[in-house]
Amino acid sequence: MLELDAITLATPQRVLVRNVSARVAGGELLVVMGESGAGKSSLLAMLSGTLPDGFIATGAIRLNGREIGALPTAQRHVGLLFQDDLLFPHMTVLDNLLFALPAGGHRAERCAQAEAALARAGLEGHGPRWPHSLSGGQRSRVSVLRALLAQPQALLLDEPFSRLDAALRERFRAFVFERVREQGIPAVLVTHDPQDVPAGAQVIELRPELDDA
Amino acid sequence: MDTTLRPVKAARGWGWALPAALFVLPLAAALWLGAAEAVDARAWSHLLSDTQFAAALAESLWIAVASTMLSATLCVLIVTRLHGTRAWQRVQGALGGWLAVPHAAFAIGLALLLMPSGFIARLLAGVAGWDAPPDIATVRDPWGLGLIAALVFKELPFLLWNVAAQLRRVGQGAELERQLQIAATMGYSRRTAWARLLWPQLLPRLALPLLAVGAYGFTVVDMALVIGPARPPTLAVLAWQWLLDANAATNHQGAAAALCLTALVAALAAAVVLAWHAVRPAARQRWTRGDRPSAARRFEWPWAGTGAAVYLAVVLSLLFMSIAGVWTFPSLWPSHWTLQAWAGVAHSSSTVGVTAVLAIVSASTGLVLAVAWMETAPAHWDARAAGAVFAPMLVPGVLLVAGLYQLSLHSGIDGRFAGLWLAHSLYTAPYAMVALSPAYRGFDPRYQQTAHALGRSHAAFLLRVKWPMLLAPLAAAFAVAFAVSVTQYLPTQFIGAGRYATVTTEALTLASGGQRNLAAAFALLQALLPAIVFGFAWWLGRRQARRLHAVAMA
Repeated sequence: MLELDAITLATPQRVLVRNVSARVAGGELLVVMGESGAGKSSLLAMLSGTLPDGFIATGAIRLNGREIGALPTAQRHVGLLFQDDLLFPHMTVLDNLLFALPAGGHRAERCAQAEAALARAGLEGHGPRWPHSLSGGQRSRVSVLRALLAQPQALLLDEPFSRLDAALRERFRAFVFERVREQGIPAVLVTHDPQDVPAGAQVIELRPELDDA
Repeated sequence: MDTTLRPVKAARGWGWALPAALFVLPLAAALWLGAAEAVDARAWSHLLSDTQFAAALAESLWIAVASTMLSATLCVLIVTRLHGTRAWQRVQGALGGWLAVPHAAFAIGLALLLMPSGFIARLLAGVAGWDAPPDIATVRDPWGLGLIAALVFKELPFLLWNVAAQLRRVGQGAELERQLQIAATMGYSRRTAWARLLWPQLLPRLALPLLAVGAYGFTVVDMALVIGPARPPTLAVLAWQWLLDANAATNHQGAAAALCLTALVAALAAAVVLAWHAVRPAARQRWTRGDRPSAARRFEWPWAGTGAAVYLAVVLSLLFMSIAGVWTFPSLWPSHWTLQAWAGVAHSSSTVGVTAVLAIVSASTGLVLAVAWMETAPAHWDARAAGAVFAPMLVPGVLLVAGLYQLSLHSGIDGRFAGLWLAHSLYTAPYAMVALSPAYRGFDPRYQQTAHALGRSHAAFLLRVKWPMLLAPLAAAFAVAFAVSVTQYLPTQFIGAGRYATVTTEALTLASGGQRNLAAAFALLQALLPAIVFGFAWWLGRRQARRLHAVAMA
């Protein structure tokens, strides 16, 4: 369960998010919509703990009852997916997944775990390949697998579909939502495209308050 | 209607051949003649049986390996700790000033600080109760520690500057920053993320700067003459002394030593590449082990402050020494001050004149060659030209200078200004190219299309649009080339046959002759002349930026 409690987010110039509260249960999706510049990505950065200096943020963020708002990113257990897949180019697909997987067990067991994840995503045998040799859709799927193998307690999606072409987009969207349900963790999706919103999802719409000083 | 589509071929003439030939032909001839000097069986047998050879070689290897490892380690440590903090901004802001202090001037200043009668020993004398300078070699020590320290302080800013340039590259910097964020969401500390993600990607891209640092430490002559070990000196210094010898057989032995250094640079580079490939599999196992070492908060060393303090101390010690009169040992202050050294500098004002004229002429030549190349050759040819461009930076100075001397002998310009001009231009051109190419190659091609679409000639486009817009980077590249010329020691001394004195040759001759006051004054000038030109370039750039800004605001 991810709880946002009275979140307000502002720059010295204007208020981006005013007093937003939401509760996202495991396997559910919260969609944050708004024009570009409305503060969607800043809200995600606040949740992941990567907000740059110069923002003023108030309110509480609780993940499974744990207050995470003041923790450094590395201790929040919140996964993050960007528009770009950001696969590490100096590692093979398998190494990318192993990097995410928590330590413990023999290397063979960890490899088997990563390869099983690849197989479930229809990417059997792609482990030894280099990221640059995969298609855009394959890379996107690997980056989702990587984020989930790190066993996050929540997943943040920063317009992950916007770079893909229409046909691919539909399939990848279904793939991501299915994984989120399967994993049973709350997810927050930021987008400006109404088509990205699945039926029954909670939606928050951010509108820029232009007149605010 | 039947139309055939033909690929449109850009009209590209042979214009590129002229700047390429003007640079590559003398360079290749010099390398060939230098190597030819060394192809002499007797010279090699003399070299290998020389009593100093083995010790000098071991010393050079030790100095090169120690200074390179230390600079690289400190660079990794500093960037890992500081990147993303305000301290990193401070370090980046200070890099330009640190880089602008010439190697030889830095070595002379550091030697003045460290020597047994230097300021540091005087400070210690107060505590330890010494009344005479300690009887230990603190400057030309047999372990080369003084030279290693000088090299590390000079090379570290160069490496940091290269890392900063990689991180600033368009697109790449932001991508690396987001990779760090991804790693953080997976529970990795910043330090572990740097070690497993960023350095494995950055280090291969730093191969060339690291090679330059290693090759420089292995073959440097000017710094080693001031602060390097004396008995025996390093192999590069030995080669230099042999090249200067009046005996032709000894000259051949010097050329053989220079070729030996060159071969060893290549062998060391190959060894490092092989070692990298050998450790990579084990390193990859480590990167992907999945453990998340906690980020233990340790004491943060004030890196920017340390660097600033060392450079300030070095420059101040030069200034201090250039005006110090009689100065008995344990006292911290000279008993009187004197402007004698500066009067001496004023007296030999032709030295400053020769330095400046030579630097202006060869920096202009270098800049013209670089611009001519980039105007006539497509950008993707730069990679092909890289071998020639980097040769003067990577080939040991003693070998290139030996060849340049032969070349100037054959063409009758040895000991003449033309010989110095040629030699200096071979060094200024590549630096001008490296300094200018990011801005010049990054120039938006649509301006050219726009100018041509407006019916203006190509010459008008260059003179009225492109070069005025690129004024700041052109001035900066000129300043870099100017500094490169001012600080040349080997070619100036050798090709000039001692007939042309520059601030650099004077500073080094006087420093090794123990004339500290005058040496300090000339060393300061060696730093000051390029600083004036850098300042002018900076002023031009600012004026330009303000003008463009004013236009944008109007």
